[in-house]
Amino acid sequence: MKNERLKGKDLINVGIFTAIYFVIVFAVSMLGYIPIFMPLLCVIVPVLGGIPFMLFLTKVKKSGMIFIMSIIMGILMLLTGMGYYSIVVGAISGIIAELIFKSGSYKNATRAVITSGVFSIWVWGNYIPLFLNIEGYFSTRQGYGQEYISALTSLMPAWMCPVLLGSAFISGIFGGLLGKAILKKHFKKAGIA
Amino acid sequence: MNNNVFQAESIKRGLVLDPRTKLLLLVTMSVFVLSSAGGKGLEFLAPCLCIVPFVLLLTSKKFKSTILYAIIYLTAIMMLILLRPITNGVVNFLILGTAGIVTRFMPSIMVGMYVLSTTTVSEFNAAMLRLNVSEKIIIPLSVMFRFFPTVLDEFSSINAAMRMRGISLGGKNVTKMLEYRLVPLLTCSVKIGEELSAAALTRGLGGNVKRTNVCEIGFHLQDMVIIFLCFVPFALMLLSRCGIL
Repeated sequence: MKNERLKGKDLINVGIFTAIYFVIVFAVSMLGYIPIFMPLLCVIVPVLGGIPFMLFLTKVKKSGMIFIMSIIMGILMLLTGMGYYSIVVGAISGIIAELIFKSGSYKNATRAVITSGVFSIWVWGNYIPLFLNIEGYFSTRQGYGQEYISALTSLMPAWMCPVLLGSAFISGIFGGLLGKAILKKHFKKAGIA
Repeated sequence: MNNNVFQAESIKRGLVLDPRTKLLLLVTMSVFVLSSAGGKGLEFLAPCLCIVPFVLLLTSKKFKSTILYAIIYLTAIMMLILLRPITNGVVNFLILGTAGIVTRFMPSIMVGMYVLSTTTVSEFNAAMLRLNVSEKIIIPLSVMFRFFPTVLDEFSSINAAMRMRGISLGGKNVTKMLEYRLVPLLTCSVKIGEELSAAALTRGLGGNVKRTNVCEIGFHLQDMVIIFLCFVPFALMLLSRCGIL
């Protein structure tokens, strides 16, 4: 079972859960327009995303599914104008998440929570342009007005970069725990987890 | 609550573009309009590119959305030009913010809508196969595009039901608001997903043989025009990076 090739059903599952995950992420990201929410997105997205992701993990039985989901999220971020860093970050964090979950032979609940944390690191990829080249980033966002830019610049000093990485991971774990609780409360009963 | 805008109908379509051209256009829009990669010198590109979705929507005979798009986009541009110098403080922040978001997101959303509403899943598959993309990426992607409208549709129904029960924003309990929306959404999505995979299996997805496709895709004159249009901004960016422009 473990080393079997991915079948159509698995790939369809990946597609469905990526769609749900992306819709949630996209809805939440709209908050990013309010400057204070921009760094907070790194917390909100993994926590809320943890719920569908944990349900997704119950469907993962073969290697590759988490990695594919991670890559597709990266592609979607590119298409929605967040830059290409998410694909790179997503590829790396996707592989690590995959290996962690695989080491628990795709059913260990503790490993699943850690997997959710590692997977969530792709969110951090969206912030990289802010730290690499903040002037360049804002020269492309003049339309938002000077107030927005100065508010965001003061919120994003360079030391925020590792902080955001850490908070993405930790809130991913928190989201995983939340997802686990919801799985137990609702989905096990309904017989779909 | 029928989200017909996203579903492609194969009968009444105007100008047909190759799915690969549409993808290139989507990437171009996202690079130059959504994240304005050209920087200051190429700022004039964004409004020029914004005409493209207007024309495309016209050719695909979606007159209602075309007019709506034109009105909203023009209003936002006018607001940016006329109101930027005469306002300040919070008003400036609000107006510029709204108009900025509209001018940034609207064109790409329209192109996205155009692509989704004129490409059938089979055409998308055929195009991706031609590009030699692995099936492991194609199947999830095509399922996903097929699934977005379903998720949105389900979500708006759940939303209506929950509002009737008084569980909405501004209610007492935020966690309850989220839980009561996400859980039913996930439950019904999983059920729909199971049905979808059963349907796909009967069509031979996941078998060991190579699947064939009846869609005829290929590049025509209109594709050439669009591809040329997409390469112009990239070339300009390259030139300005090299310091020639």
